[in-house]
Amino acid sequence: METLAIYLLNPLYYAAILFLISAGLSLIYGVMRVVNLAHGSLYALGAFVTAWLVGLVAAHVPAVVLYLILPVGALAVGAVGLIIEPTLLRPLLKRPEEYQLLMTFGLLLILEDCMRLLFGPYPLFAREPLEFLGSSIIVGDLYPNYNLLVIVVGLVTAAFSWVLTYKTKFGVIMRATSLDMRMTSALGVNVKRVYLKAFAIGAFLAGLGGAFSAPTQGAVLGMGQDALVLAFIVVVVGGLGSLEGAFVGSLITGFVRSIGITLFPEIELAILYLIAAAVLLIRPKGLFGRD
Amino acid sequence: MFAATTRLQTVQKEVTAMKTIPTTDFKTGQMTFFTGPAAALGEPMYKGHIMAAEEINALGGLLGKRKITTIKADEAAGTDANVKELRRMALEEKIDMFAGITSSGNTPALGPVAEELGVLTLFTDGCTDFLFDKAVPNPHFIFRITNIQSADGVTASVMANMQWPNVKSVAHLHPDYSYGHNAYDHFKIVMSKLNPSAQTVYEGWPKLGTSEFTEHITKIIDAKPDLLYSSLWGGDYVAFYKQANGYGLFNKMHFASTLSHGVAPQFLGKDHPEGTIAGHHSNYYFTYSNAQPGSWPLNDSFIARYRARWDGEYPNFQAEGAYTGVYMLKTAIERAAKLVGGWPEVDQIIGQLEGLSMAAPAGYIYIRPDNHQAYKDTVTGLSKNSPDYPFNIVDPMSVVKMPIQKLTAPPNWPKGDPTSTYTWIDQTWPKLSS
Repeated sequence: METLAIYLLNPLYYAAILFLISAGLSLIYGVMRVVNLAHGSLYALGAFVTAWLVGLVAAHVPAVVLYLILPVGALAVGAVGLIIEPTLLRPLLKRPEEYQLLMTFGLLLILEDCMRLLFGPYPLFAREPLEFLGSSIIVGDLYPNYNLLVIVVGLVTAAFSWVLTYKTKFGVIMRATSLDMRMTSALGVNVKRVYLKAFAIGAFLAGLGGAFSAPTQGAVLGMGQDALVLAFIVVVVGGLGSLEGAFVGSLITGFVRSIGITLFPEIELAILYLIAAAVLLIRPKGLFGRD
Repeated sequence: MFAATTRLQTVQKEVTAMKTIPTTDFKTGQMTFFTGPAAALGEPMYKGHIMAAEEINALGGLLGKRKITTIKADEAAGTDANVKELRRMALEEKIDMFAGITSSGNTPALGPVAEELGVLTLFTDGCTDFLFDKAVPNPHFIFRITNIQSADGVTASVMANMQWPNVKSVAHLHPDYSYGHNAYDHFKIVMSKLNPSAQTVYEGWPKLGTSEFTEHITKIIDAKPDLLYSSLWGGDYVAFYKQANGYGLFNKMHFASTLSHGVAPQFLGKDHPEGTIAGHHSNYYFTYSNAQPGSWPLNDSFIARYRARWDGEYPNFQAEGAYTGVYMLKTAIERAAKLVGGWPEVDQIIGQLEGLSMAAPAGYIYIRPDNHQAYKDTVTGLSKNSPDYPFNIVDPMSVVKMPIQKLTAPPNWPKGDPTSTYTWIDQTWPKLSS
């Protein structure tokens, strides 16, 4: 166990990616009360756009430019969010939530096919950002610097999200909308704009997760569904609609998975579901859930 | 009297067959992965099939008259949907032959259905021993072209023992489904004979389709094995080696794979480590005959035609398997037609496929009559970054071909558990004493 430092870093890296995916899912639910089943596909879209862009320019630009490209994938997904919300979701918001589930599930399928059409059926890999950063020796063991970068990005994003939610005027409005949409609207807030922004930010976060996982995991059709399941486990543990829940849920999921693979490798698949089941039994609303 | 009537009917049938070669198209259904991580490995299968069909059609078609047409379906739809699609192809589209399939999870589900529907079927891959050991022990309509799966683990294990005979500890990393378990079982049984003192120090079983391996990589490094053995494949494997590079895994241990070089060659970057056992399903890698240039012209011309047809891409073992499968069908139809004097019935084609042997790009291939499985000598080698190719290749100077007869259970060997080859090795291979 001399590789203890690495053992601590691995789940942090995993949790950082999980947080990026689940924070957006939680934000969208918290503000709009929409369970966005297409969230995983937005994550996949971020990965595809990034991998495609990196593949396109990697040979022609200095390495540092590649890191500036990574967020471009996320911005593209945020822009897609800006289109989806007013055209596809807004008309259904007043209807029962089954309609929204159907719509976002349909979106999941449509986005998957769009990615296939745009980027082809094969996996895309963007290895350059991973390679250029190299590896460091941490207590005698090699660790990829890129993973450290992802951890930092996860932490910075968490800090930004917290400031945005609790320290800005927009955050106050967003939380007010989340608590009582009608009252907020009556007070003169343009709720439609709040929804639009919240959805775009949520989509951007998912895209950011995809963008930063593309160099290590590649962009593969079907990756969205896996990510969606993981994000649901995180928000079930942490509480749907809660930023703190997404943060703590990601850490718990990351560390439990790590311990699970070490101690019970045979049930690697089941371990994440077991955590979610345990939390549901003890605290059905999740650790940070509210009524 | 009864026997005489039946005989007469048979003769009449043959007489009618003799006069008629239908001018209708010979319709084939082709199913493989067109999407997802498995497409990197499976999609070239379609390209091999189409290329063979186009070549045959350019000469007028089967028996010079029947053009081959192909309808395709995506295997990524899932096993249940695949079974439905096979039924639809057979009943609605009325295909004359079904071909393709990559996943070992699918052939045991599709095989019995193809038998029930009476559709002539040439599975290209999906090569689990389970199909002909247990799911369809007495096949009539179904055949399979690429080597039987147990040959993968056996070949990799023999190669690892040739290459690194002093290994004392082994770590395993396999996808948690039938292929991973098959590769694990056969590697272990061979190790128990060739290197009985080697210890297993780690076993990881990630889900098929996983692209996040950092946790496993750290555990493997921590276990300090002399050898890591893995059956990861397709997009999963590509993600794995890229992540493992960052942890310096390949500098710390030997690495043996059953299927690392099974993907379409362009998917393995030059960042792939060198000197690893570069498995390709123990079937075919396009450089295998390059050590003696021109020694197997069938391969040279196959590569040249494949590249010309598919934008400069190089073929993988699935492309070669599907291509050879269509030509085996053509050969069987021609031989049967010669005997019956016209377009043969499906049973007559099957009769000619059983025991058929021919020269293919990958070497000689032979279909065993008892289980309808095609066999060829297995092949593996070591990975290398050559200036001649923009991707990591199997070094032709390192290629080892092993006689299949020495690696797999012979005809009529009792069906065993987990596979016949497993029990055959267990009972007949001598144990190496130190």
